[in-house]
Amino acid sequence: MINILLITFGISLIYMGIANRLSTCINVLALQGVLLFGISFIELIEINTLNLIFVLFETIVFKTIIIPLFLKHVIKKNKIVRESEPFIPDFMSVGIITFIMLGSFIFANIIEVANIRKMFFIVAIAALFIGLFLIVSRKKVVTHIMGYLVIENGVFILSLSAGNKMQMLVNTGITLDLFVSVLVLGVFVNRIGNTFEEMNVDNLTNLKD
Amino acid sequence: MRVLGLILIIITSFFFTGIVFRTKSIFSGRKGRSIFQPMNDIWRLMRKGSVYSQTSSFIFRIAPSIYFASVIIAIMLIPFGGQKGIFSFNCDFVFFAYILAVGKFFNIVGALDTGSSFEGMGASREALYSLLAEPAFFILMGSFALLTGYTSFSDIFISIHFGSYISYAIVALAAYILIIIAMVENSRMPVDDPKTHLELTMVHEVMILDNSGFDLGLIFYATNLKFAMYGAILANLFLTPGKEWFLSIPIFVVVQILFAIIVGIIESFIARFRMNHNSQFIFALTSISLIIFLTVLLMVGKFL
Repeated sequence: MINILLITFGISLIYMGIANRLSTCINVLALQGVLLFGISFIELIEINTLNLIFVLFETIVFKTIIIPLFLKHVIKKNKIVRESEPFIPDFMSVGIITFIMLGSFIFANIIEVANIRKMFFIVAIAALFIGLFLIVSRKKVVTHIMGYLVIENGVFILSLSAGNKMQMLVNTGITLDLFVSVLVLGVFVNRIGNTFEEMNVDNLTNLKD
Repeated sequence: MRVLGLILIIITSFFFTGIVFRTKSIFSGRKGRSIFQPMNDIWRLMRKGSVYSQTSSFIFRIAPSIYFASVIIAIMLIPFGGQKGIFSFNCDFVFFAYILAVGKFFNIVGALDTGSSFEGMGASREALYSLLAEPAFFILMGSFALLTGYTSFSDIFISIHFGSYISYAIVALAAYILIIIAMVENSRMPVDDPKTHLELTMVHEVMILDNSGFDLGLIFYATNLKFAMYGAILANLFLTPGKEWFLSIPIFVVVQILFAIIVGIIESFIARFRMNHNSQFIFALTSISLIIFLTVLLMVGKFL
């Protein structure tokens, strides 16, 4: 069952690359939150109440509900164009994402780390690099946040891949990281929206003291 | 008994497109025509004579027949239940893909032969789309071959069994890929709209603008047959081998009808893509089949 959820997660990463509307990207992020909840729920062997509540809070409440609503609010408030304008054609993005998947598969097979399950490791590495690629290849600041969230999801899966040791600590770190980043980037986005009307990274190159 | 599959596919092809049209008309609030109406139209076309342009050569005349023949030969390779197809040999899925490609090649050459600029444009688009859909099919069949250890259609489908839960995931993904490949190869909705009337936006329809009468009927009927053929491949994923015919024939028919209804639903609810969005959509199929391949590699543990 975990493997099916991980495969679905991988396909959602591909879909993220060809989605050309921002709302689709946000929906995919919400779906990824649900998938992560499924994975971690099955994965937790001894479920104590505290841990379950924490995972539920982190995946369902935070990743599936709050962040997508917040991003939609930011997009609406700043009147951002609904297309995710990439620098390179979508066809190239799909190709590059496929190569990242392939590369992370080969990478996971070459380094044979004990105590790490391969399937988790592949999906986690792929999510990390695809998130980086999404950040590099998209123009808008909002899509940068989305790429960052994909990276966070990858780190979450990576923390699961190592088993149950210290999971609570890792999760706390991830949540804090997420919270601060979304808050800071949201403030950032809103400020730029007030000053420049449009929010492309291009405008930032013209900034001077 | 090897002809049973061929007979069933031909029977299915009589009502397949009718079910698709009926589903579309129900979803758009119309009553819809009889499910045998597309077949009646084809029969009407077949009784007419053909008109040939003076500028076209013999290639234009033989192209529809070769296209039709290639589809028939491809159908003969499809197994049914535990039975082999009429032809069956090792690596016959490669032959299957390329006999269809031969038919498509003659279709394209026939379109180019007319000298119309619109038809050349449509031919180039169709060639591009089937070129992009081909790796998805090969990677899919390759991963099945790796999973089962056999390389012919009948052996692969006999030995695919729902042993572990992950094979459900693989079969579901394979069904998705096969459905979309069938839509692409038959020039249906997300990629191409068969009902469009502007030559600049057509893909398959613009290639057959000059065909008339018997030839046009052959091309239309070949589309029905291709749909039924992909439906038969899909049905093979769900048929349990070794069962009696009174079990496998109903499963076959139910899968075909479900496939037709799914095609109708997709056509009713998905708008046609912009031309430049098509290529990445089809290429994403290759990515998904690559994920199937990687999963199979992890399952059999044959890597490194």
